[in-house]
Amino acid sequence: MAELGAVAAPTGAEVGEQLIDIFSRVPAEVLETMFFTEAAASPCTHDWFADAVAARVLFAGSHAGEMRLSVSLEAADSIASAFLGVEACELTPALRVQVVLELANILCGAVLSHLWPESKVALGAPEMLVQESVPAAALHRCFELPEGKIALWIDWSLPAA
Amino acid sequence: MAYSVLIVDDSPVMRAFIRRVMALSGFELRECLEASNGLEALTQLGEHRVDVILTDINMPTMNGEELLRRLGTDGVLKSVPTLVISTDATRDRILRMLALGAEGYMTKPFSPETLREELERVLGGRNG
Repeated sequence: MAELGAVAAPTGAEVGEQLIDIFSRVPAEVLETMFFTEAAASPCTHDWFADAVAARVLFAGSHAGEMRLSVSLEAADSIASAFLGVEACELTPALRVQVVLELANILCGAVLSHLWPESKVALGAPEMLVQESVPAAALHRCFELPEGKIALWIDWSLPAA
Repeated sequence: MAYSVLIVDDSPVMRAFIRRVMALSGFELRECLEASNGLEALTQLGEHRVDVILTDINMPTMNGEELLRRLGTDGVLKSVPTLVISTDATRDRILRMLALGAEGYMTKPFSPETLREELERVLGGRNG
């Protein structure tokens, strides 16, 4: 899997309105369809990151980069409960983590396929992350859920000519 | 009519989700078997008869592509319809899986209704 920064970073022209729209709309569709919760793009407040559950998915191919996901504890419980159809009190920490990893995987696949439908990109296995600071990324969006918050970042590079 | 289904996915929570949405959608299950990769799926298929296989692509040990290849060379198992469920929505991947014999390809996210419709389609509309 390629590391970020191997080739040129996306230019400002690439991060156009259409990409920003996709990055706002697609995660909300994923959360509604498979996690049975509403999500609205919201102003960024990053004070909840210290306790968040964080994951990342690397991707490589015609585009290479990574997507990062942070989920507040309240949102992680709510999302995992809805996904598995169990009460929050029945959740174990391991189940919560597995659902967040699955969410990261689905979000990454859905966002990439909307951003670049004709691309040839392979996703790596989602992995947990200790997120110590707010990453710099080409695209970033925070979402407000009925219970808690999530934040997404995606960064990529194009193949060297 | 109730059906026997084999779910092949390396994520236990995804397998649980698929079981759950089949029930939510009203799809009638007689038996739901599970495997965490293609090799385990072939073992299950050697011991049980199923009506339809739902498989992920990216899995350790044996991925969904290799599973489809193996099913395609088995005189009995090649007649069992297979539905691919994946995050990969790229055209190349979808065409490749369909060429290997998949009867359908669903990309995540999908709703319970979409899963039921696809199951009904690959089973020839015999459910419900």
